[in-house]
Amino acid sequence: MTSAVDKRDSGYLDRPRSSSLADVVELILDKGLVIDAYVRISLVGIELVTIDARIVIASVDTYLRFAEATNRLDLYEHGGKDLGEMTESLAKGGASGKTSGVIDGAKDKVGELLHGSDDDDDDDDDDESSSRRSRSGNGRSSGNGRPRSRAR
Amino acid sequence: MTTSVAASCYVFGVVPAGARLPEVDETAVAEGLRLVEAEGLAAVVGTPPADRAVGRAVDLLAHDRVLAALVAAGTPVLPMRFGAVLRDEAAVIDDLLTARAGTLRADLDRVTGRVQFTLTVRYEQDVVLRELLASRPDIARLRGSGATHSLDGRLRLGELVVQAIDRMRPTDAQAVMDDLRDAVDIRRNKTTSPEEVLSAAVLVDEGDADAFEQNMVDVARRHHPRLRIRLVGPSAPYDFVGTG
Repeated sequence: MTSAVDKRDSGYLDRPRSSSLADVVELILDKGLVIDAYVRISLVGIELVTIDARIVIASVDTYLRFAEATNRLDLYEHGGKDLGEMTESLAKGGASGKTSGVIDGAKDKVGELLHGSDDDDDDDDDDESSSRRSRSGNGRSSGNGRPRSRAR
Repeated sequence: MTTSVAASCYVFGVVPAGARLPEVDETAVAEGLRLVEAEGLAAVVGTPPADRAVGRAVDLLAHDRVLAALVAAGTPVLPMRFGAVLRDEAAVIDDLLTARAGTLRADLDRVTGRVQFTLTVRYEQDVVLRELLASRPDIARLRGSGATHSLDGRLRLGELVVQAIDRMRPTDAQAVMDDLRDAVDIRRNKTTSPEEVLSAAVLVDEGDADAFEQNMVDVARRHHPRLRIRLVGPSAPYDFVGTG
């Protein structure tokens, strides 16, 4: 992806110079011409990956994440807080930090999934929680050249 | 299905017959890039690895790199969905190029001289939350109360916030849609999280690409700091094939 444009660093528009893995996943999974199943061979669990990419994040996790974000706002809204409030907010932040790492975006998960069967490349995503790692274990077993059934 | 892997073809996309092959150093997902031609059309194919299944991150990136190289060379291309492998060249000719010659040609005509941009619009979380707290006393009250010390209380707060954002989204998405210029066609994709406002693919005439991008800079400035806009492309027209 090259384009002769100098104004990409306007500071307003987020304009990546090269596509990240997440961009490529977003761009190509589920897209493009499909070949009829009966003539195609070896699909390699791609469908499984696709489903993970489109996962609708469980609403409980989402609610907690937004509750946390909303609660956290007052940390920088008013300056001086008493110590009690401070520690309370921090404690909550710590607790849910673990959760938000996991649900931070379905696309990250796909990155993890894809990396499950591969290590020798250029991913730049290093904040991995243990639960994400265990997820990627699920995607790895794909093999057999048969499309996975579409689990919900 | 037992077939020789050596004969099988990983298909990247369909181009006009006689198109120049892109020069791509490393194509992980398939090697020996070549054209298989029929009906005035050509499939860009390579031989997939015999010793492993495709589906790694490098395979996805390689798939995109080949298609991006075609686009960069000005070759009209219909991208195949990632992971398309056919039995052999005969299958590429019969089951793909010949069997679907009519629609392939029509699709190619539609994307010739055009490129895809993909934009993702997200809420700047803190800005939107502050806005909500100002406009929704019930949410502000709940947040300030001891109720959020309990899990139930936090769930209720989160639910109210997410529902409020759900109600804002259509208007904000439409505002960005209305701001788009120089689009030949637009496909909206599903959004996947509450802070995602809009995800859309835009087909643009190559000659308008710079104008389109400049306008997007203006749009991003206009919606700053509430919305953050990410623009990827120009790319192959992934969202504009096989849809009739």
